Amino acid sequence: MKRLAQLARSADWTGWLGAAIVVVMIGAAISASWVAPYDPVAISIEHRLSAPGAEHWLGTDQAGRDVLSRIIHGARASLAVGIGAVIIGALLGVSAGLFAAYKGGLGDQITMRIVDGIASIPLLVWAIAIVGVLGVGPVSIGSLQLPNEVKIVTLVGCLFSPVFARVTYAVAKRIVGADYVKARYLQGASHWQIVIGEVLPNCLSPIIVQATLLVAIGIVIEASISFVGLGVQPPQASWGTMLSDARNALYSGEWWLPVFPGLAISVTVIGFNLLGDAVRDLFDPRSEARTLVA
Amino acid sequence: MFRLLAGRFFASLGTLFFVGLVLFALTRAGPGSPARIVLGADATADQIAQFEQIHGLDRPFLEQYITWLVDVLGGDFGKSFVTGRDVAGEIAGALPVTLSIVLFAFIIALVVGIGIGILAALRPGGPFASVTRLSVVLGLSIPAFWLGIVLIRFVAVELRWLPPGGYAPLSAGLAAHLQTIAMPAVSLAVYYIAVLARMTQASLQEALRGDYVRTARAMGLSSPRIVFYALLNALPPVINLAALSFGYMFGWALIIEQVFNIPGLSRALLNAISQRDFLLLQGIVFLFTAIFVLANLGADLVNRVLDPRQRSAA
Repeated sequence: MKRLAQLARSADWTGWLGAAIVVVMIGAAISASWVAPYDPVAISIEHRLSAPGAEHWLGTDQAGRDVLSRIIHGARASLAVGIGAVIIGALLGVSAGLFAAYKGGLGDQITMRIVDGIASIPLLVWAIAIVGVLGVGPVSIGSLQLPNEVKIVTLVGCLFSPVFARVTYAVAKRIVGADYVKARYLQGASHWQIVIGEVLPNCLSPIIVQATLLVAIGIVIEASISFVGLGVQPPQASWGTMLSDARNALYSGEWWLPVFPGLAISVTVIGFNLLGDAVRDLFDPRSEARTLVA
Repeated sequence: MFRLLAGRFFASLGTLFFVGLVLFALTRAGPGSPARIVLGADATADQIAQFEQIHGLDRPFLEQYITWLVDVLGGDFGKSFVTGRDVAGEIAGALPVTLSIVLFAFIIALVVGIGIGILAALRPGGPFASVTRLSVVLGLSIPAFWLGIVLIRFVAVELRWLPPGGYAPLSAGLAAHLQTIAMPAVSLAVYYIAVLARMTQASLQEALRGDYVRTARAMGLSSPRIVFYALLNALPPVINLAALSFGYMFGWALIIEQVFNIPGLSRALLNAISQRDFLLLQGIVFLFTAIFVLANLGADLVNRVLDPRQRSAA
């Protein structure tokens, strides 16, 4: 709570702008079915390609579908992939980093070499190739049918994990060697108590900073993969597929088709970037400008 | 020093070996064996066994991988099961296209990014620094492929300054070549201009606060010379980031090529996917991975060679 109050005082307006954008976008994604004025997949030939106006605020596309409704529903896919990948990456990476730092010795070496190996995989090329090989159909686990995006979330999550592993490892290594941790050990605290109670809390701020910045990258990656047709499958709405469809309208006059979905991506990404920078300035002001992952 | 370089190089080769193994396994994880895909659903078991024997697909997995890898290192990517064409030839046809776009974008990103960063660092708190800060946030947030679409819409279709897509090789004349790669390269470069500008600004500002700068000022050195010396100290992290960026740019170039309808590695990769052409897919992805690993190695070495503290730490 003290940290939160500090955040409220010190973050400048750009951080607040970022937080506001993030909250609005997540809100839109969660409540898409209620907020969207139209059905995002309802085809209506007589309303096709109508310009933005009172009836359709952001116009309609070639099939007469409402662009605003599709953008609101598209937020779901984008944020689900962005946030989902970061959660998977954080779970994998933080566990690996904690394990390596606490274990030391050979376990440390092996874990961190695997992390290095994963970090040397070019994300976008692999994502395209692997989804391409596995096909864009739904994933079925038992009777459960999961959409194609699950593959992208898992893959991007795995490839995000080195970032988390490295920041966690760097901090955890320092904490593990500290005298107070040795003291806790002598008091008879178990390994779990030390790792979860002493080491992990100290790693949280750089983890949160990276998580926020990586969501932004995850969103762009989802849009890019959907753009080449390997992500969200039509007719379901996604910002990437909307931009792909918009390429057919480049030579006619429908400027709203390429402009609005791209703005949606950019504004969301700006939101997460501004929030991430503000959180970093607060928690971790001396850290590197940014980890480059794409 | 030499031992360090050699050690790093072999570590990268080891990484590439294992990552390639994962790739090799994953490309075979899809539905349907290569034989089934090529011969069709009504091929007999005999035909499939024969096909697998001819192409070595009945060998143990690891043996297949090592045979393939040794051939690839010798420049032989194999012959496609699907089209019968030489994979190395297909890649050699498409690589120059992608390379040309990436190199052009890389040069733009270096010159513009570092230039903006220096100017912004010289007057911290000034109007140019504020504009830079805002532009960096925008540059990091605008997806390259959307920028490409918007450029086509407004620069090519509306203003008719440049062709909306396609590709003219260098052999068709420098002007024609630059006209076709200008918009793709700019779209690709914007993100990295922002990344490099931010790093240059931060690093140079830090360097200009150093004690040696104050001493140099006190001794009456001219301002440009002081900035020059500070820049020498500020550049290693920037060059490191630039080397990393070079590896990442290839990935985004795939998407950009799709936007501008350019016949580069992107088209080859998507063709390989749609035709289930395993060898072509493996070859292209392995090539990208190798470029990426080498770019990372370069970044690492730049760090260690240019920064004496890291040199001794190694």
